[in-house]
Amino acid sequence: MSALARRAEALGATLPPLLVAAERVAATVAQGVHGRRRVGQGDSFWQYRPFLPGDAVNRIDWRQSARSDRAFIRETEWEAAQTVALWRDGGESMRWRKGAPVEKAERAELLLLALAALLIRGGERVRLLGSEGRAVSSVERLAELVARQPAGEGVPPEVPLPRHAQVVLIGDFLAPLEVIQQAVGRMASIPVRGHLLQVLDPAEAVLPYEGRVRFEGVRREVSTLIARVEGVREAYGERLAAQQDGLRAICRAAGWGFTIHRTDHPAESALLGLYTALAPQLGRR
Amino acid sequence: MIFAAPWVLFALAALPLLWWLLRVTPPAPRIERFPAIRLLLGLMSNSETPARTPLWLLVLRCVVAGLVIIGLAQPVLESGAALPGSGPVLLVIDDGWAAARDWAKRVVVARTVLDRAERAGRKVVLLATAPAETGAPPSATPAMDAAVARPLVEALRPKPWGVDRAAAAQAAQLAKAGAVVAILDGLEGGPDWSRFAAALASVGPVVEMRAEDGGTRLLLPPRAEPDRLVVRVAHPVAAAASEVAVAAQSADGRTLARIVVPITGGATSAEAPMLLPPELRNRLSKLVIEGSSTVAGVVMLDERWRRRPVGLLAGDAAAAGAPLTGQLFYLRRALETSTELREGELAALLSREISVLILADRVVPDGPEREVLANWVGKGGMLIRFAGPKTAERPDTLLPVKMLEGDRQLGGAMSWSQPAGLAGFAPTSPFAGLAVPAEVKITRQVLAAPGMHLADATWARLGDGTPLVTHATRGAGQVVLFHVTANADWSDLPLSGLFVDMLRRLVELANGVTGGDEGSTQKLAPVETLDGFGQPGAPPAVAAAMTAAELARADPGPRAPPGIYGPETARRVLNLANRMAMPVAASAIPGATFEPLGGIPPERGLAPWLMAVAILLLAIDMLASLRLRGLLGATAVLAFLLVAPLAQAQAPQLSPEENPARGTRLAHVLTGDAQVDNVARAGLIGLSDYVNRRTAAALAEPAGVEPGQDDLSLYPLLYWPITAEAPAPTGQAVAALNLFMANGGIILIDTRNGGSGEGFSAGAEAALRQIGRGLVVPALAELTQAHVLARSFYLLSEFPGRFAGDAIWVASDQDRSNDGVSPVIIGGHDWASAWAVDAQGRNPYATIPGGARQRVLAYRFGVNLVMYALTGNYKGDQVHVPALLERLGQ
Repeated sequence: MSALARRAEALGATLPPLLVAAERVAATVAQGVHGRRRVGQGDSFWQYRPFLPGDAVNRIDWRQSARSDRAFIRETEWEAAQTVALWRDGGESMRWRKGAPVEKAERAELLLLALAALLIRGGERVRLLGSEGRAVSSVERLAELVARQPAGEGVPPEVPLPRHAQVVLIGDFLAPLEVIQQAVGRMASIPVRGHLLQVLDPAEAVLPYEGRVRFEGVRREVSTLIARVEGVREAYGERLAAQQDGLRAICRAAGWGFTIHRTDHPAESALLGLYTALAPQLGRR
Repeated sequence: MIFAAPWVLFALAALPLLWWLLRVTPPAPRIERFPAIRLLLGLMSNSETPARTPLWLLVLRCVVAGLVIIGLAQPVLESGAALPGSGPVLLVIDDGWAAARDWAKRVVVARTVLDRAERAGRKVVLLATAPAETGAPPSATPAMDAAVARPLVEALRPKPWGVDRAAAAQAAQLAKAGAVVAILDGLEGGPDWSRFAAALASVGPVVEMRAEDGGTRLLLPPRAEPDRLVVRVAHPVAAAASEVAVAAQSADGRTLARIVVPITGGATSAEAPMLLPPELRNRLSKLVIEGSSTVAGVVMLDERWRRRPVGLLAGDAAAAGAPLTGQLFYLRRALETSTELREGELAALLSREISVLILADRVVPDGPEREVLANWVGKGGMLIRFAGPKTAERPDTLLPVKMLEGDRQLGGAMSWSQPAGLAGFAPTSPFAGLAVPAEVKITRQVLAAPGMHLADATWARLGDGTPLVTHATRGAGQVVLFHVTANADWSDLPLSGLFVDMLRRLVELANGVTGGDEGSTQKLAPVETLDGFGQPGAPPAVAAAMTAAELARADPGPRAPPGIYGPETARRVLNLANRMAMPVAASAIPGATFEPLGGIPPERGLAPWLMAVAILLLAIDMLASLRLRGLLGATAVLAFLLVAPLAQAQAPQLSPEENPARGTRLAHVLTGDAQVDNVARAGLIGLSDYVNRRTAAALAEPAGVEPGQDDLSLYPLLYWPITAEAPAPTGQAVAALNLFMANGGIILIDTRNGGSGEGFSAGAEAALRQIGRGLVVPALAELTQAHVLARSFYLLSEFPGRFAGDAIWVASDQDRSNDGVSPVIIGGHDWASAWAVDAQGRNPYATIPGGARQRVLAYRFGVNLVMYALTGNYKGDQVHVPALLERLGQ
């Protein structure tokens, strides 16, 4: 997994540090360790400024003021951080590849770790959805958690999340739409903002088989015999488009973002998509 | 091509049905796992035509079915020729000794004939022309089916005796047959050949098959001459000039000597002398034609060819054996290594066959004893007498010359004369050529009475012309008198090496024990007999015990198979060629069709091949089907198709000739004599293998080099066997060898005639002298136990090769150039023969005097030599360890 972590770091290094736009910074939010390059609550020294009328007297820094005739107030840098919960589908349907060099699960983990590397470099707190424990501060630690996480069922688990946290969900999202809507709706009601990335194998996208084929589920739970796959390709495409439209609708309803990634496309494009989705207000600040 | 079961071919009509069936049955679906299965459930193909089996697969399967059907019909590829005539076929097979050489071919031909007869529905009458092991004369079987005859043919083996043409002719005439196929050995096999040929021709049309290449070579019993064996080979079917290698083997199958008998074109026999030192000749047990696997290529030898037993008898029996002073002491020492010695009373000695009798100062009085002795000498015995006080007192009549009474003393307190030395030997003397050492002095001797023929009777004389050894011919035998004692009382002669050489010359001069115990009535039972292929085995049940005289007259046959007869003490052999008339090539049978033996390829059934191809195609079909169903990756199919044929071609292949610079390897100097070069190469291979097994050194395959042409700097050690015919090396070669030695190379020069091998490779010394003229050889010293070479790996006290006992010469210790490492080692122990290993991993050359210990020591010397060549004087410090320890102690 350390190899995967290294690749993820390398991928994350290609983008500028990502700062998650926090819409609301509450005093109750735990203090982070990174400064916002502006005056605010925090431990790090920011600047001295002359005492102005109206300032509280107990804010005067007497040590500095003693060196001159004027009184100074010591200001600290504003420090704030936000928790980003990440989740990737580790189910059996993700451990599959047909037309691409990598399995869907591998690509999903790579994206998750690269995103985490970006966020950590930006000072954000990252946690893995579904694994107990607190937020982690290094990609290596996160990689270990990912490796140890059980397979899961294809939908994000029900775990308590802090309000106004951010969520990124990565998976193939081929489960029935109702199940996904339930999960997304539950999180959106906390309220939590989020993003949903569908990772698909190219074979799932275009159904490249020919002739007489018996299809089985990845766990061989169901099977269907199709005499000529060429004949059903179009119908399959329509069904897949319907599934993706449904997902997009669910996300829009929750105020979330939704993007699609194919494993034969470069991972950087997907990461850039997540970057722009997570930092919509970056330019405004 | 014909079909053994043609009705099966009707099944070919079902092939179109198979085609149709395969066409309408859809292929089994491929199985794919698919995560998005939920999206596919319930989807129906809107196309009407389901997938079909591909056309090429359809064709493949029909081809497989067709091959199986044709294969089941058992097609046979016929070789053309059909059986002659009609009615039962008389199959005549020569199974005498001459058929053993290509017996396998003969059986194949006989099988083919049986197959044809079976297909033609004809019965077969079988007639083997040699007498059976039971002693029954050849007789024809009743007419029988080919299937019944087949096991009889398979059970036939070539017999170690000849065919019986007369009985076979009779049997052929009685046989009820309409045609003859005769598989003959090409020899007349007796005086009745024409009768036999006529009898076959009278049966019906004849097809005669015989080998068209040469014929069996027959090794005849060698002729024993005083110092050599004359090896004789009969070659009945005259052909172009060729040569036959004959190996002389000891009882344990080791080759003691090997000669090549040249056969001139058109000749039917050839002979060549085999020179052997007496020690080796006494160990000979058989002669074998190399590469021959028939009884005709083996001649066993018994006492008649080997031994010249020597009887010893002293006048004073009690004191005769006393060390250093006894009359017989020096005689025993001189003769015991080369001959068989017997001692005892005169009657006991003469009761057995001996060829030489030595009387040491024993007077033979007139009377019955003298009669017996004179009789024995007259029949060919050699009587050697030594003088002494008793003989001087009473000279008897069984002496070569008339004696003067008393003796003559030379030197001493009361004499003016000095002890006399020996004069050189006359060229007519049997001792001619022996060197006369100056230190041999005669102080007393008996004197011959002067006479007209004394000079002729003298074989050796003193410096003043007095006879020392005289002889006289008596009948077929000889009487020889040494005019001195057999101990050192009267002369120094018994102390010198000359004494040994003189006695050996005399013993070699004696007639061998021939004829043997002809008069003995003891029955000798067969112990071990040879089969038709020359392999020894248990004697057949009907083989009878015979006396020696009967054996000498016996013709080999079922009752007297060739082999060894009699108990250990009185071994006799009966050879195939005993009393056999020279074999004569047979003329053709009148009116017969001739077919060469190897010319008819055996009939070949095609069914197994067709089936094999069908199975192969089925395997391909299976791979293709699996591929179509997606169960097998394309790379796996490709790998299987590529690897499957390779799996058989995994046999180890020797890497091609490698760069000599890669790997350390020993080298031998090419002498131009192929035999010597082969032995040297085999020896170095054996040594390299031994070194690789025993030490950390890793030696590659040895190389043969030509100094001056090849780069010698790549080899640490050169082995150089010297042959008498070796030309002096060219200036270029000498320069290369000198440079090689100057740069730290070591040359082992082997004259191959040292110590116990004296007499082998005659003339090598002279050749060595000539060769060594240009080489820069340092001052030499004898190799001792203190030398580094004696302890560079093993601690050695002797350095034997095939021979032992000779001194080995290395650069003397004083020579400190080249770090004290001797650039040249000279010896004559024929190390390569001792190291040599043949293809079966055996050591083909016997060590002399012999023993496994000598072989081990030879290998150890080789290991030391290699270590010495690789590490130089590294172990030299060990030589000084005692001195160092002593110094430390002080």
